[in-house]
Amino acid sequence: MKTESYTVIGKSVPRVDMPDKAFGRTKYTNDVTIPGVLHAKLHTSTRAHAVIKSINLAKAWEVPGVRAILTGDAFPFPVGPMLADRPPLAVNKVRYCGEPIAVVVADNIHQAKKAATLIDVEYEDLPVVNSPAEAMKSNAQLIHENLSNYKVQVKGVYPTPNTNIANLTKIRKGNMQTGWEASDITIESRVSFTPADHAALETRCARVEILSNGRVMVYSSTQGPFYVRKLLSEFFHIDAGMISVQTPLVGGAFGGKGTVQLEFIAYLASRAVGGKMVKIENSREEDLIMSPVHIGLDASVKLGATKDGKLKAAEIKFLFDSGAYSDTGAGISKAAASDCTGPYAIENVHCDSYCVYTNHPYATSFRGFGHPELTFAVEKAMDKLAARLQVDPFELRLLNAIGPGDTTPTQVNLNASNIGDVSSCLTKIRNLIGWNPNKNVQTTRDGKIRTKGISCFWKTSSTPPNATAGAVLTFNTDGSINLNCAAVELGQGTKTVLGQILAEKLKMDTKDIHVTLEVNTQYDPHQWKTVASSTTMIAGRAVLAAAEDAIKQLKNVGSTVLKSSPEDLDIAKGRIFLKDSPEYGVKITDVAVGYKYPNGNTVGGLVVGNGSYNVRHLTPLDPETGFGKPGPQWGVGAQAVEVEYNPKDYTYKIVKAATVLDAGKVINPQAAIGQMRGGMYLGLSWATRESFTFDDKGIVLNPQLRTYDILRASETPEYLVDFVETPLVDGPYGARGMGEYGVIGMAGALANSLSAACAADLNQLPLTPELIWKLVEGKGDVQ
Amino acid sequence: MIPIDFEYYRPSTIIKAVQLYQDLTGNQKQTIFYGGGTEIISRARMNEISPNAVIDLKNIPECNVLKKDTETITIGATVSLTQIADSAVFPLLTNVARSIAFRTARNKITIGGNLTGDIIYREALLPFLLTESEAVIAGREGTRQVVISGNGIKLNEGEFIVQLVTNNKFAQYRHINHKTTKQSKVNYPIVSIASILVDDQIRVAFSGVCAYPFRLNQIEEALNDVTNSPGKRIQAAIDLLPAPILHDAQASSEYREFVLKQALQQLLDNFEGVS
Repeated sequence: MKTESYTVIGKSVPRVDMPDKAFGRTKYTNDVTIPGVLHAKLHTSTRAHAVIKSINLAKAWEVPGVRAILTGDAFPFPVGPMLADRPPLAVNKVRYCGEPIAVVVADNIHQAKKAATLIDVEYEDLPVVNSPAEAMKSNAQLIHENLSNYKVQVKGVYPTPNTNIANLTKIRKGNMQTGWEASDITIESRVSFTPADHAALETRCARVEILSNGRVMVYSSTQGPFYVRKLLSEFFHIDAGMISVQTPLVGGAFGGKGTVQLEFIAYLASRAVGGKMVKIENSREEDLIMSPVHIGLDASVKLGATKDGKLKAAEIKFLFDSGAYSDTGAGISKAAASDCTGPYAIENVHCDSYCVYTNHPYATSFRGFGHPELTFAVEKAMDKLAARLQVDPFELRLLNAIGPGDTTPTQVNLNASNIGDVSSCLTKIRNLIGWNPNKNVQTTRDGKIRTKGISCFWKTSSTPPNATAGAVLTFNTDGSINLNCAAVELGQGTKTVLGQILAEKLKMDTKDIHVTLEVNTQYDPHQWKTVASSTTMIAGRAVLAAAEDAIKQLKNVGSTVLKSSPEDLDIAKGRIFLKDSPEYGVKITDVAVGYKYPNGNTVGGLVVGNGSYNVRHLTPLDPETGFGKPGPQWGVGAQAVEVEYNPKDYTYKIVKAATVLDAGKVINPQAAIGQMRGGMYLGLSWATRESFTFDDKGIVLNPQLRTYDILRASETPEYLVDFVETPLVDGPYGARGMGEYGVIGMAGALANSLSAACAADLNQLPLTPELIWKLVEGKGDVQ
Repeated sequence: MIPIDFEYYRPSTIIKAVQLYQDLTGNQKQTIFYGGGTEIISRARMNEISPNAVIDLKNIPECNVLKKDTETITIGATVSLTQIADSAVFPLLTNVARSIAFRTARNKITIGGNLTGDIIYREALLPFLLTESEAVIAGREGTRQVVISGNGIKLNEGEFIVQLVTNNKFAQYRHINHKTTKQSKVNYPIVSIASILVDDQIRVAFSGVCAYPFRLNQIEEALNDVTNSPGKRIQAAIDLLPAPILHDAQASSEYREFVLKQALQQLLDNFEGVS
């Protein structure tokens, strides 16, 4: 095997966005003060499901400074990324508590807010659908009466008219009868949890201005500037070239900023005031429930295995609680179906994955896109199976680990490149957490119980089949390079990693790479979105292609200057030189903007490197069997959690959390470790305390941070992180994605650890002491 | 962001504050007294209250006292919970104050605000209930001094708390406090109890159990009845609760009762295990 000798790849290069963040100098979307900007504020629904009988705007209009008030009739057409089912402002009825009903535009924000509070809405309550199980009942109240009229925006979304089903993805692999017959043992498991939130530090914000020539200027805290442009263009019939979207750094997103909501409203608001710039900024309370949330789930898993523990059959049903509108929920339910078994080789698989409407706030992508959710269900079931078989949960996972030669639930053939090494991740996590099946439950001197739990995960990226990214390189007169690409920096370190990929390819110092942090759709090349752990792959490949393009141009001009053929040249450390005589060369500085001979003659023009990358060979899934290729490769890993549980009061402390990820190639070790820690934090916060509580009318009882609990820094465990490196053949330097992975297995590992400690089946989230008390003491049916 | 306009006053004497209130309400202005503002700001942001005027008490010298002399501990109403948490004048109150909210919020929350706010927990009240403390209250009729008992301090229209006065002998008694939340340490209490041992008799006050904080003699009598087993005493105490156990998004009433029993057991173990 070739020995790698990278100079930049694999080094912990400091993040380019870090100094400004550390000093508080970073300017986010809402940190810019613009003279004359008008302010928009929403009036939102206080009901979860009701007909709007009337809206009285009279008092609101009396507030000084009010320029416009818009209600649903300003644009009574549904929008949405996959299935157009959501009017930007409610039309005729409201479907969740917090839904925007009207928007006020005023000179000052306090005027807009005051007027918004004076809007008087008369409701007529409708029966509330408060869970996906309720929504699936044959006589359930319909949330969308006209489901059959909604336009499907993305191939592969199958709503069922006259039901609350926004999408159904079916997986039919192998033969279930064969599978059950080959199984000596079967277990069934059911888990559920209500929606939660992303709770990113930066609340969502958008500004829109329509210039006199018709150009629409959008400034937004989004993970998808080009996606905002696409949706505004599609739904408002504006030429894409007439829309410019700008995004500076984003202050945390976790999937919640990958969709479009405020931008639609800000556009309508600006249009209503003659195109003047209008800003809409979420308060924390609005950001929690008015804007889209983290999806809920009710999942049933039935597994069959031989007495030796070999999995033979899996029958899985997912009811995703997408809330009032489908948004990307229709994609999440599909992604979960594609990977429904977790990283285990099973020949016979039957899965029905539903995206279900309820009267909860609507869901969008959350870091992991269905995988933290499905993994909680599958990993709980795996531990249940291990208990029934009386085998070590670790050995059960190792025995069934999927790998090259196996097929996924959608029947993709796996090979040594397109899937990471599950077994190696498992073996490594065993050592990292100190797994010992005989000592995994220990009682401390003060009567507490220390236990460990593990989980195993995989994920492919579920990008659209044409997900793309581009990169443009320009050269400065000092020989340094500007890297422009539309990957959004949201704290994940993408701009640093892309700079490293470029520096390695050009054999340069990273200090000579200037990565543009902000994104502007008018001069950056197109990128789908910064989501799905896909940026290192798609933008990284685009950067490599742009570097090759620049190298070719530099060598062409260099060959003239050096009187050689381009093939005989190499580039490193800012020079173009002869491979066999490196002392003969020319500085890139002297070539990149055209080489000037002593007499003034100049050859070559500006070197501008262009590159792009498109995911390839992805297909929609067959509607009956799920057959198809949902993503380019499967990232895999294993996680573990150690807890100290107090059986007297059912409280617990998380002592350690560990992740081993197959990264393909770790490009920046410190950044990668940070990503895993951040992922574990998010997963543990969700699993231990984050969720919305609803009353029986579907009203959110904790719509503010006083009552919506988030894991505090002082409550975080010791984090352990390690990596396996199984190269992805076509990944940049072998790298796989890693952005989402740290979060995926945390809920499963924590629940397995705590279930072992309290000897009860902890099948709900969040894992609060009250829940444990209830399940241990058998206080009523908790489903 | 608070969308409403309101008048803001910051008088420097008790008399001016009382007079301002009379004048403002006389002019039909809905007026409230202002300590740290954490509740007023949060609730006004969410359109839950919309006062026409606020009277900030923080410039009144008597309201800023924090001292201990040979006889008494005196705490001004606008002293912040952080100041109390960092001070040793009243150890039980120090501990209780530290368990309320988080430091950044405690920097703003005043003791007077916590005792008289709309929030149902008002945990800072518990140490005062246990120590027969008195509140100095200012109003139109001048100042009056009342013993803090039962469910707390009842203010008449236009009155505000100036100071809390506690006999400093209580600073020496053994005391414990215990707070259980839904999950994080920083949260509203499911059960918060504070207790001191006075002449071998347990005194205990509760927050989070019912819809208001309280201390009840009968409950203490039941808990101190050593002729009964601890289990029976605890059950008797629970049977004597003055109102239904809270049942809300923080906890079910059943779980609250379980937590309360545990807290009382711990209390008995702690005081009686040693004595």
